[in-house]
Amino acid sequence: MSTPSQQAQSGARDSVVGWQVALGVALLIGWEIAGRAGAARWVSEPSKIAVKLWIWLGGPLYVHLAATVTELVTGFAIGASLGALAGMMLGRSPVAAAVLRPVIVGLYSVPLVALAPLFIMFFGLGYLPKIVLVGIVTFFLLFFNTFSGAQRIDEDLVHSMEIMGAGRWEIFRKLVAPGCAVWIAGGIKTALPYALVATVTGELLATRAGLGLLLSQAAEQFDMTSIYAVLLLLMVIGLLLSEAANRIEQRVLRWRQAAE
Amino acid sequence: MDQIAPAPSQSRKRDDPAKIRLVGAGKTFQVRGTELEALKPVDLGVGGEEFVALVGPSGCGKSTILNLVAGLLAPSAGQVLYDGEPVTGPNRRVGYLTQKDTLLPWRSTADNIRISLELKCRATPRAEATDRVAQMMELVGLRGFEHHYPAELSGGMRKRAALARTLIYEPETLLMDEPFGALDAQLKLLMLDQLQRLTRHRRMTVLFVTHDLGEAITLADRIVVVSARPGRIRAVHEVRLPRPRDVFTIRFSEDFARQHERLWDELKDDIIKGTDV
Repeated sequence: MSTPSQQAQSGARDSVVGWQVALGVALLIGWEIAGRAGAARWVSEPSKIAVKLWIWLGGPLYVHLAATVTELVTGFAIGASLGALAGMMLGRSPVAAAVLRPVIVGLYSVPLVALAPLFIMFFGLGYLPKIVLVGIVTFFLLFFNTFSGAQRIDEDLVHSMEIMGAGRWEIFRKLVAPGCAVWIAGGIKTALPYALVATVTGELLATRAGLGLLLSQAAEQFDMTSIYAVLLLLMVIGLLLSEAANRIEQRVLRWRQAAE
Repeated sequence: MDQIAPAPSQSRKRDDPAKIRLVGAGKTFQVRGTELEALKPVDLGVGGEEFVALVGPSGCGKSTILNLVAGLLAPSAGQVLYDGEPVTGPNRRVGYLTQKDTLLPWRSTADNIRISLELKCRATPRAEATDRVAQMMELVGLRGFEHHYPAELSGGMRKRAALARTLIYEPETLLMDEPFGALDAQLKLLMLDQLQRLTRHRRMTVLFVTHDLGEAITLADRIVVVSARPGRIRAVHEVRLPRPRDVFTIRFSEDFARQHERLWDELKDDIIKGTDV
Protein backbone atom coordinates (compact mmCIF):
# COMPACT_ATOMS: atom_id res chain seq x y z
CA MET A 1 0.00 0.00 0.00
CA SER A 2 1.34 3.41 -0.79
CA THR A 3 0.49 6.36 1.38
CA PRO A 4 -1.11 9.47 -0.11
CA SER A 5 2.21 11.33 0.11
CA GLN A 6 4.00 8.51 -1.73
CA GLN A 7 1.28 8.62 -4.36
CA ALA A 8 1.72 12.34 -4.63
CA GLN A 9 5.48 11.87 -4.96
CA SER A 10 5.23 9.21 -7.61
CA GLY A 11 2.63 11.36 -9.35
CA ALA A 12 5.08 14.26 -9.34
CA ARG A 13 7.80 11.98 -10.67
CA ASP A 14 5.52 10.75 -13.46
CA SER A 15 4.75 14.28 -14.53
CA VAL A 16 8.47 15.20 -14.47
CA VAL A 17 9.24 12.23 -16.73
CA GLY A 18 6.32 13.18 -18.92
CA TRP A 19 7.65 16.71 -19.39
CA GLN A 20 11.15 15.40 -20.05
CA VAL A 21 9.90 13.10 -22.81
CA ALA A 22 7.87 15.94 -24.29
CA LEU A 23 10.91 18.22 -24.21
CA GLY A 24 13.08 15.57 -25.87
CA VAL A 25 10.55 14.98 -28.65
CA ALA A 26 10.15 18.71 -29.18
CA LEU A 27 13.92 19.15 -29.49
CA LEU A 28 14.19 16.31 -32.00
CA ILE A 29 11.32 17.70 -34.06
CA GLY A 30 12.81 21.18 -33.94
CA TRP A 31 16.18 19.78 -34.97
CA GLU A 32 14.61 17.83 -37.86
CA ILE A 33 12.70 20.89 -39.06
CA ALA A 34 15.80 23.06 -38.83
CA GLY A 35 17.77 20.50 -40.83
CA ARG A 36 15.15 20.18 -43.57
CA ALA A 37 14.75 23.94 -43.70
CA GLY A 38 18.34 24.24 -44.90
CA ALA A 39 20.63 24.06 -41.87
CA ALA A 40 21.51 20.41 -42.55
CA ARG A 41 25.05 21.50 -43.55
CA TRP A 42 25.59 22.41 -39.93
CA VAL A 43 23.25 20.31 -37.85
CA SER A 44 22.33 17.37 -40.09
CA GLU A 45 18.96 15.80 -39.32
CA PRO A 46 17.99 13.35 -36.57
CA SER A 47 16.40 10.99 -39.11
CA LYS A 48 19.62 10.83 -41.16
CA ILE A 49 21.66 10.30 -38.01
CA ALA A 50 19.38 7.46 -36.98
CA VAL A 51 19.78 5.82 -40.38
CA LYS A 52 23.56 6.28 -40.19
CA LEU A 53 23.69 4.65 -36.76
CA TRP A 54 21.50 1.82 -37.99
CA ILE A 55 23.90 1.12 -40.88
CA TRP A 56 26.93 1.30 -38.57
CA LEU A 57 25.33 -1.03 -36.08
CA GLY A 58 24.93 -3.53 -38.91
CA GLY A 59 28.70 -4.06 -38.93
CA PRO A 60 31.23 -1.30 -39.64
CA LEU A 61 30.93 0.24 -36.18
CA TYR A 62 32.20 -2.62 -34.07
CA VAL A 63 35.90 -2.49 -34.82
CA HIS A 64 35.90 1.18 -33.81
CA LEU A 65 33.72 0.71 -30.77
CA ALA A 66 35.90 -2.19 -29.64
CA ALA A 67 39.05 -0.07 -30.04
CA THR A 68 37.70 2.85 -28.05
CA VAL A 69 36.17 0.76 -25.29
CA THR A 70 39.25 -1.47 -24.96
CA GLU A 71 41.59 1.51 -24.73
CA LEU A 72 39.36 3.26 -22.27
CA VAL A 73 38.68 0.29 -20.00
CA THR A 74 42.23 -1.08 -20.01
CA GLY A 75 43.86 2.29 -19.49
CA PHE A 76 41.38 3.21 -16.79
CA ALA A 77 41.74 -0.05 -14.91
CA ILE A 78 45.53 0.12 -14.89
CA GLY A 79 45.70 3.85 -14.10
CA ALA A 80 43.07 3.67 -11.38
CA SER A 81 44.65 0.68 -9.62
CA LEU A 82 48.13 2.13 -9.70
CA GLY A 83 46.89 5.59 -8.72
CA ALA A 84 44.90 4.29 -5.77
CA LEU A 85 47.76 2.08 -4.65
CA ALA A 86 50.35 4.85 -4.91
CA GLY A 87 47.98 7.26 -3.17
CA MET A 88 47.50 4.91 -0.24
CA MET A 89 51.20 4.15 0.08
CA LEU A 90 52.43 7.73 -0.13
CA GLY A 91 49.53 8.95 1.97
CA ARG A 92 50.75 6.69 4.78
CA SER A 93 54.44 7.54 4.44
CA PRO A 94 54.92 11.28 4.91
CA VAL A 95 58.67 11.18 4.19
CA ALA A 96 58.30 9.46 0.81
CA ALA A 97 55.44 11.83 0.00
CA ALA A 98 57.58 14.87 0.83
CA VAL A 99 60.46 13.55 -1.29
CA LEU A 100 58.30 12.76 -4.33
CA ARG A 101 56.07 15.80 -4.10
CA PRO A 102 57.95 18.03 -6.57
CA VAL A 103 58.13 15.20 -9.12
CA ILE A 104 54.42 14.51 -8.91
CA VAL A 105 53.33 18.13 -8.93
CA GLY A 106 55.73 18.83 -11.81
CA LEU A 107 54.41 15.98 -13.92
CA TYR A 108 50.83 16.89 -13.19
CA SER A 109 51.45 20.48 -14.27
CA VAL A 110 51.97 19.30 -17.84
CA PRO A 111 48.59 19.26 -19.60
CA LEU A 112 48.46 15.49 -19.87
CA VAL A 113 46.68 15.21 -23.23
CA ALA A 114 49.60 17.17 -24.65
CA LEU A 115 51.62 14.01 -24.09
CA ALA A 116 49.57 12.21 -26.74
CA PRO A 117 51.90 12.98 -29.69
CA LEU A 118 54.83 11.69 -27.66
CA PHE A 119 53.10 8.41 -26.90
CA ILE A 120 52.07 7.97 -30.52
CA MET A 121 55.72 8.31 -31.50
CA PHE A 122 56.75 5.89 -28.77
CA PHE A 123 54.07 3.29 -29.17
CA GLY A 124 52.67 3.56 -32.71
CA LEU A 125 49.10 3.57 -33.94
CA GLY A 126 47.65 0.62 -32.04
CA TYR A 127 45.83 0.57 -28.72
CA LEU A 128 48.94 1.13 -26.63
CA PRO A 129 49.50 4.90 -26.86
CA LYS A 130 45.86 5.56 -25.93
CA ILE A 131 46.00 3.08 -23.09
CA VAL A 132 49.06 4.84 -21.73
CA LEU A 133 47.48 8.26 -22.09
CA VAL A 134 44.23 7.21 -20.42
CA GLY A 135 46.24 5.41 -17.77
CA ILE A 136 48.27 8.48 -16.89
CA VAL A 137 45.30 10.83 -16.76
CA THR A 138 43.43 8.37 -14.56
CA PHE A 139 46.47 7.67 -12.41
CA PHE A 140 46.88 11.27 -11.32
CA LEU A 141 43.23 11.87 -10.52
CA LEU A 142 43.01 8.67 -8.48
CA PHE A 143 46.35 9.35 -6.88
CA PHE A 144 45.48 12.80 -5.56
CA ASN A 145 42.08 11.72 -4.26
CA THR A 146 43.32 8.58 -2.56
CA PHE A 147 46.32 10.41 -1.15
CA SER A 148 44.08 12.85 0.73
CA GLY A 149 42.00 9.93 1.96
CA ALA A 150 45.00 8.01 3.25
CA GLN A 151 46.31 11.08 5.05
CA ARG A 152 42.99 11.44 6.84
CA ILE A 153 43.01 7.92 8.28
CA ASP A 154 42.50 8.33 12.01
CA GLU A 155 45.76 7.60 13.86
CA ASP A 156 43.74 6.32 16.81
CA LEU A 157 42.34 3.58 14.59
CA VAL A 158 45.84 2.69 13.45
CA HIS A 159 47.01 2.48 17.06
CA SER A 160 44.10 0.32 18.13
CA MET A 161 44.88 -2.09 15.29
CA GLU A 162 48.57 -2.14 16.23
CA ILE A 163 47.82 -2.94 19.83
CA MET A 164 45.50 -5.74 18.75
CA GLY A 165 48.54 -7.15 16.99
CA ALA A 166 47.92 -6.19 13.36
CA GLY A 167 50.98 -6.18 11.11
CA ARG A 168 51.67 -3.51 8.51
CA TRP A 169 49.97 -5.43 5.74
CA GLU A 170 46.93 -6.15 7.89
CA ILE A 171 46.60 -2.49 8.77
CA PHE A 172 46.82 -1.67 5.09
CA ARG A 173 44.23 -4.21 4.06
CA LYS A 174 41.76 -3.86 6.91
CA LEU A 175 42.09 -0.16 7.70
CA VAL A 176 43.80 1.95 5.04
CA ALA A 177 42.19 0.39 1.97
CA PRO A 178 38.59 0.37 3.24
CA GLY A 179 39.17 3.79 4.81
CA CYS A 180 40.16 5.15 1.39
CA ALA A 181 37.23 3.52 -0.41
CA VAL A 182 35.15 6.70 -0.27
CA TRP A 183 37.98 8.68 -1.80
CA ILE A 184 38.73 6.07 -4.43
CA ALA A 185 35.07 5.94 -5.45
CA GLY A 186 35.08 9.74 -5.68
CA GLY A 187 38.25 9.63 -7.76
CA ILE A 188 36.73 7.08 -10.13
CA LYS A 189 33.69 9.28 -10.69
CA THR A 190 35.84 12.32 -11.39
CA ALA A 191 38.30 10.47 -13.59
CA LEU A 192 35.90 8.64 -15.93
CA PRO A 193 34.93 11.66 -18.06
CA TYR A 194 38.59 12.70 -18.29
CA ALA A 195 39.52 9.19 -19.36
CA LEU A 196 36.99 9.37 -22.18
CA VAL A 197 38.41 12.74 -23.24
CA ALA A 198 41.92 11.25 -23.25
CA THR A 199 40.84 8.26 -25.34
CA VAL A 200 39.13 10.33 -28.00
CA THR A 201 41.92 12.93 -28.07
CA GLY A 202 44.47 10.20 -28.65
CA GLU A 203 42.38 8.72 -31.43
CA LEU A 204 41.79 12.07 -33.09
CA LEU A 205 45.53 12.56 -33.45
CA ALA A 206 46.43 9.25 -35.05
CA THR A 207 45.05 5.78 -34.86
CA ARG A 208 44.07 2.76 -36.88
CA ALA A 209 40.64 2.37 -35.34
CA GLY A 210 38.31 3.99 -32.83
CA LEU A 211 35.42 6.42 -32.55
CA GLY A 212 37.97 9.22 -32.67
CA LEU A 213 39.03 7.99 -36.12
CA LEU A 214 35.40 7.94 -37.31
CA LEU A 215 35.09 11.48 -36.02
CA SER A 216 38.21 12.81 -37.77
CA GLN A 217 37.34 11.03 -41.05
CA ALA A 218 33.83 12.44 -40.94
CA ALA A 219 35.21 15.91 -40.31
CA GLU A 220 37.59 15.67 -43.27
CA GLN A 221 34.63 14.83 -45.50
CA PHE A 222 32.33 17.46 -43.99
CA ASP A 223 30.03 14.56 -43.13
CA MET A 224 27.89 16.22 -40.46
CA THR A 225 25.60 13.23 -40.04
CA SER A 226 28.52 10.96 -39.12
CA ILE A 227 29.97 13.56 -36.75
CA TYR A 228 26.71 13.79 -34.85
CA ALA A 229 26.32 10.02 -34.89
CA VAL A 230 29.76 9.62 -33.25
CA LEU A 231 29.03 12.35 -30.71
CA LEU A 232 25.81 10.59 -29.82
CA LEU A 233 27.67 7.33 -29.32
CA LEU A 234 30.26 9.06 -27.12
CA MET A 235 27.50 10.59 -25.08
CA VAL A 236 25.93 7.18 -24.55
CA ILE A 237 29.30 5.73 -23.49
CA GLY A 238 29.83 8.63 -21.08
CA LEU A 239 26.39 8.15 -19.56
CA LEU A 240 26.86 4.41 -19.16
CA LEU A 241 30.22 4.94 -17.50
CA SER A 242 28.95 7.46 -14.99
CA GLU A 243 25.97 5.22 -14.23
CA ALA A 244 28.37 2.33 -13.63
CA ALA A 245 30.48 4.53 -11.36
CA ASN A 246 27.40 5.48 -9.35
CA ARG A 247 26.45 1.83 -8.92
CA ILE A 248 29.95 0.92 -7.75
CA GLU A 249 29.99 3.83 -5.35
CA GLN A 250 26.67 2.86 -3.83
CA ARG A 251 27.77 -0.71 -3.36
CA VAL A 252 31.11 0.19 -1.77
CA LEU A 253 29.66 2.82 0.51
CA ARG A 254 26.60 1.13 1.95
CA TRP A 255 27.87 1.86 5.47
CA ARG A 256 27.88 5.56 4.69
CA GLN A 257 24.19 5.59 3.92
CA ALA A 258 23.67 3.92 7.27
CA ALA A 259 25.28 6.95 8.87
CA GLU A 260 22.79 9.34 7.31
CA MET B 1 31.19 -17.55 30.16
CA ASP B 2 31.47 -21.10 31.37
CA GLN B 3 32.68 -22.32 28.00
CA ILE B 4 35.89 -20.35 28.37
CA ALA B 5 38.64 -22.45 29.87
CA PRO B 6 40.79 -20.81 32.52
CA ALA B 7 44.07 -19.45 31.26
CA PRO B 8 47.17 -21.41 32.09
CA SER B 9 48.95 -19.48 34.80
CA GLN B 10 52.19 -18.07 33.54
CA SER B 11 55.47 -18.77 35.22
CA ARG B 12 57.24 -15.69 36.47
CA LYS B 13 60.95 -15.63 36.03
CA ARG B 14 61.76 -12.12 37.10
CA ASP B 15 62.34 -10.80 40.60
CA ASP B 16 60.03 -7.87 40.08
CA PRO B 17 56.55 -9.22 40.56
CA ALA B 18 55.03 -6.18 38.86
CA LYS B 19 53.42 -6.66 35.47
CA ILE B 20 53.48 -2.95 34.83
CA ARG B 21 55.96 -0.58 36.38
CA LEU B 22 56.38 3.14 35.89
CA VAL B 23 59.75 4.35 37.14
CA GLY B 24 59.85 8.13 37.42
CA ALA B 25 57.82 8.19 34.23
CA GLY B 26 56.64 11.64 33.21
CA LYS B 27 55.30 13.23 30.08
CA THR B 28 55.68 16.72 28.73
CA PHE B 29 53.98 17.79 25.52
CA GLN B 30 55.09 20.56 23.21
CA VAL B 31 52.08 22.69 22.46
CA ARG B 32 52.82 25.52 20.02
CA GLY B 33 56.30 26.03 21.33
CA THR B 34 55.41 25.98 25.01
CA GLU B 35 55.89 22.98 27.21
CA LEU B 36 52.86 21.45 28.81
CA GLU B 37 53.58 19.05 31.63
CA ALA B 38 50.82 16.46 31.53
CA LEU B 39 52.29 14.05 34.01
CA LYS B 40 54.92 14.71 36.65
CA PRO B 41 57.35 11.81 37.04
CA VAL B 42 55.43 9.06 38.81
CA ASP B 43 56.30 5.67 40.28
CA LEU B 44 53.64 3.03 40.07
CA GLY B 45 53.64 -0.75 40.05
CA VAL B 46 50.75 -2.97 39.03
CA GLY B 47 51.13 -6.61 40.03
CA GLY B 48 50.11 -9.52 37.86
CA GLU B 49 46.37 -10.19 38.11
CA GLU B 50 45.92 -7.01 40.09
CA PHE B 51 43.03 -4.63 39.44
CA VAL B 52 44.15 -1.03 39.85
CA ALA B 53 41.86 1.95 39.37
CA LEU B 54 43.16 5.44 38.60
CA VAL B 55 40.85 8.17 39.80
CA GLY B 56 41.19 11.92 39.58
CA PRO B 57 39.75 15.01 37.92
CA SER B 58 39.55 15.31 34.14
CA GLY B 59 42.73 16.25 32.37
CA CYS B 60 44.94 15.03 35.20
CA GLY B 61 47.07 12.69 33.15
CA LYS B 62 45.26 9.43 33.85
CA SER B 63 44.89 8.75 30.15
CA THR B 64 48.53 9.70 29.68
CA ILE B 65 49.50 6.89 32.05
CA LEU B 66 47.48 4.42 29.99
CA ASN B 67 49.00 5.70 26.76
CA LEU B 68 52.47 5.23 28.21
CA VAL B 69 51.72 1.64 29.22
CA ALA B 70 50.13 0.97 25.82
CA GLY B 71 53.29 2.27 24.17
CA LEU B 72 51.42 4.93 22.21
CA LEU B 73 53.42 7.64 23.96
CA ALA B 74 57.06 7.54 24.93
CA PRO B 75 57.81 8.94 28.38
CA SER B 76 59.78 12.21 28.33
CA ALA B 77 61.34 11.17 31.65
CA GLY B 78 61.91 7.86 33.36
CA GLN B 79 60.87 4.47 32.15
CA VAL B 80 57.81 2.33 31.59
CA LEU B 81 58.36 -1.38 32.07
CA TYR B 82 56.08 -4.21 31.10
CA ASP B 83 57.05 -7.63 32.45
CA GLY B 84 60.35 -6.01 33.37
CA GLU B 85 61.10 -4.85 29.82
CA PRO B 86 60.92 -1.24 28.63
CA VAL B 87 57.91 -0.51 26.44
CA THR B 88 59.25 0.81 23.15
CA GLY B 89 56.31 0.64 20.72
CA PRO B 90 52.66 -0.34 20.61
CA ASN B 91 52.33 -2.86 23.42
CA ARG B 92 50.72 -5.93 21.89
CA ARG B 93 50.36 -7.73 25.19
CA VAL B 94 47.64 -5.39 26.37
CA GLY B 95 44.09 -4.74 25.32
CA TYR B 96 43.35 -1.02 25.30
CA LEU B 97 39.86 0.38 25.53
CA THR B 98 40.31 4.07 24.81
CA GLN B 99 37.89 6.78 25.77
CA LYS B 100 37.01 7.36 22.16
CA ASP B 101 35.70 4.19 20.59
CA THR B 102 37.84 3.16 17.67
CA LEU B 103 35.34 1.01 15.81
CA LEU B 104 35.76 0.83 12.06
CA PRO B 105 32.77 2.68 10.55
CA TRP B 106 32.51 0.38 7.52
CA ARG B 107 32.29 -2.81 9.51
CA SER B 108 29.10 -4.07 11.10
CA THR B 109 29.10 -4.43 14.88
CA ALA B 110 29.74 -8.17 14.70
CA ASP B 111 32.57 -7.70 12.19
CA ASN B 112 34.13 -5.02 14.38
CA ILE B 113 34.12 -7.34 17.37
CA ARG B 114 35.55 -10.13 15.24
CA ILE B 115 38.47 -8.19 13.82
CA SER B 116 41.14 -9.24 16.29
CA LEU B 117 40.37 -12.89 15.57
CA GLU B 118 41.01 -12.30 11.87
CA LEU B 119 44.56 -11.16 12.49
CA LYS B 120 47.38 -13.50 11.68
CA CYS B 121 48.73 -13.46 15.24
CA ARG B 122 45.63 -15.24 16.51
CA ALA B 123 43.97 -16.59 13.39
CA THR B 124 40.78 -18.32 14.51
CA PRO B 125 38.64 -20.71 12.46
CA ARG B 126 35.57 -18.92 11.14
CA ALA B 127 33.03 -21.02 12.96
CA GLU B 128 34.78 -20.60 16.29
CA ALA B 129 35.16 -16.86 15.76
CA THR B 130 31.45 -16.59 14.96
CA ASP B 131 30.58 -18.42 18.18
CA ARG B 132 32.80 -16.23 20.26
CA VAL B 133 31.43 -13.06 18.66
CA ALA B 134 27.90 -14.19 19.44
CA GLN B 135 28.89 -14.92 23.04
CA MET B 136 30.51 -11.51 23.41
CA MET B 137 27.57 -9.68 21.89
CA GLU B 138 25.31 -11.45 24.36
CA LEU B 139 27.66 -10.53 27.20
CA VAL B 140 27.59 -6.81 26.43
CA GLY B 141 23.89 -6.81 25.62
CA LEU B 142 24.16 -6.13 21.91
CA ARG B 143 22.33 -9.16 20.59
CA GLY B 144 20.20 -8.21 17.63
CA PHE B 145 22.62 -5.49 16.51
CA GLU B 146 25.08 -7.77 14.70
CA HIS B 147 24.48 -6.18 11.32
CA HIS B 148 24.22 -2.58 12.43
CA TYR B 149 27.01 -0.20 11.53
CA PRO B 150 28.61 1.83 14.35
CA ALA B 151 26.89 4.98 13.08
CA GLU B 152 23.56 3.30 13.74
CA LEU B 153 24.38 2.60 17.40
CA SER B 154 24.05 4.93 20.36
CA GLY B 155 27.17 6.14 22.18
CA GLY B 156 26.69 3.62 24.96
CA MET B 157 26.24 0.79 22.50
CA ARG B 158 29.38 1.73 20.63
CA LYS B 159 31.24 1.72 23.91
CA ARG B 160 30.00 -1.78 24.66
CA ALA B 161 30.90 -2.95 21.17
CA ALA B 162 34.42 -1.60 21.72
CA LEU B 163 34.54 -3.38 25.08
CA ALA B 164 33.47 -6.65 23.45
CA ARG B 165 36.13 -6.17 20.76
CA THR B 166 38.80 -5.81 23.45
CA LEU B 167 37.59 -8.64 25.67
CA ILE B 168 37.10 -11.17 22.89
CA TYR B 169 40.80 -11.84 22.44
CA GLU B 170 41.38 -12.04 26.17
CA PRO B 171 44.55 -9.98 26.46
CA GLU B 172 46.57 -10.69 29.60
CA THR B 173 46.35 -7.04 30.58
CA LEU B 174 43.45 -4.65 30.13
CA LEU B 175 43.86 -0.90 29.97
CA MET B 176 40.51 0.82 30.22
CA ASP B 177 39.82 4.53 29.96
CA GLU B 178 36.41 5.31 31.45
CA PRO B 179 34.78 2.41 29.69
CA PHE B 180 31.39 2.77 31.32
CA GLY B 181 30.98 6.55 31.40
CA ALA B 182 28.25 6.61 28.79
CA LEU B 183 26.13 3.79 30.22
CA ASP B 184 22.99 4.10 32.31
CA ALA B 185 23.28 3.01 35.93
CA GLN B 186 21.54 -0.33 35.50
CA LEU B 187 23.59 -1.45 32.55
CA LYS B 188 26.76 -0.18 34.17
CA LEU B 189 26.27 -2.55 37.11
CA LEU B 190 25.73 -5.48 34.77
CA MET B 191 28.90 -4.60 32.90
CA LEU B 192 30.90 -4.21 36.11
CA ASP B 193 29.71 -7.65 37.17
CA GLN B 194 30.73 -9.22 33.88
CA LEU B 195 34.06 -7.42 33.90
CA GLN B 196 34.87 -8.64 37.39
CA ARG B 197 33.92 -12.18 36.46
CA LEU B 198 35.90 -12.23 33.26
CA THR B 199 39.04 -10.62 34.63
CA ARG B 200 39.08 -13.00 37.65
CA HIS B 201 38.39 -15.98 35.49
CA ARG B 202 41.05 -15.12 32.91
CA ARG B 203 43.49 -13.87 35.55
CA MET B 204 43.82 -10.53 33.83
CA THR B 205 45.79 -7.57 35.07
CA VAL B 206 43.70 -4.41 34.84
CA LEU B 207 44.56 -0.73 34.89
CA PHE B 208 41.30 1.15 34.90
CA VAL B 209 40.69 4.89 34.64
CA THR B 210 37.45 6.25 36.02
CA HIS B 211 35.72 9.32 37.39
CA ASP B 212 33.37 7.22 39.41
CA LEU B 213 34.62 6.47 42.91
CA GLY B 214 31.91 3.85 43.43
CA GLU B 215 33.00 2.02 40.32
CA ALA B 216 36.60 2.10 41.49
CA ILE B 217 35.81 0.76 44.97
CA THR B 218 33.56 -1.94 43.56
CA LEU B 219 36.17 -3.33 41.22
CA ALA B 220 39.68 -2.44 42.32
CA ASP B 221 42.25 -3.99 44.60
CA ARG B 222 43.99 -0.64 44.80
CA ILE B 223 42.91 2.85 43.96
CA VAL B 224 45.48 5.37 42.83
CA VAL B 225 44.43 8.96 43.32
CA VAL B 226 45.91 11.31 40.73
CA SER B 227 45.88 15.06 41.29
CA ALA B 228 44.91 17.78 38.84
CA ARG B 229 47.37 18.78 36.12
CA PRO B 230 50.22 18.34 36.11
CA GLY B 231 49.26 14.88 37.22
CA ARG B 232 51.04 13.23 40.08
CA ILE B 233 50.08 10.44 42.42
CA ARG B 234 48.53 11.80 45.59
CA ALA B 235 47.63 8.65 47.43
CA VAL B 236 47.18 4.94 46.99
CA HIS B 237 44.32 3.17 48.76
CA GLU B 238 44.01 -0.53 49.33
CA VAL B 239 40.42 -1.62 48.93
CA ARG B 240 39.92 -4.21 51.62
CA LEU B 241 36.72 -5.80 50.46
CA PRO B 242 36.56 -9.57 50.01
CA ARG B 243 36.22 -11.11 46.57
CA PRO B 244 34.21 -11.99 44.67
CA ARG B 245 32.22 -8.84 45.25
CA ASP B 246 28.56 -8.52 44.58
CA VAL B 247 28.56 -5.39 42.48
CA PHE B 248 24.80 -4.97 42.88
CA THR B 249 24.71 -4.79 46.66
CA ILE B 250 28.24 -3.88 47.74
CA ARG B 251 27.52 -0.16 47.46
CA PHE B 252 25.08 -0.50 50.38
CA SER B 253 27.62 -2.05 52.77
CA GLU B 254 29.26 -0.09 55.57
CA ASP B 255 32.78 -0.94 54.42
CA PHE B 256 31.96 0.49 51.04
CA ALA B 257 30.63 3.68 52.59
CA ARG B 258 33.76 4.09 54.68
CA GLN B 259 36.06 3.61 51.70
CA HIS B 260 33.98 6.02 49.70
CA GLU B 261 34.18 8.71 52.38
CA ARG B 262 37.92 8.33 52.74
CA LEU B 263 38.46 8.64 49.00
CA TRP B 264 36.09 11.53 48.66
CA ASP B 265 37.99 13.48 51.31
CA GLU B 266 41.14 12.78 49.39
CA LEU B 267 39.73 13.88 46.09
CA LYS B 268 37.16 16.57 46.63
CA ASP B 269 39.47 19.57 46.37
CA ASP B 270 40.89 18.33 43.11
CA ILE B 271 37.54 17.30 41.72
CA ILE B 272 36.04 20.68 42.48
CA LYS B 273 39.06 22.31 40.87
CA GLY B 274 38.81 19.94 37.93
CA THR B 275 35.17 20.68 37.21
CA ASP B 276 35.91 24.39 37.19
CA VAL B 277 38.20 23.97 34.22
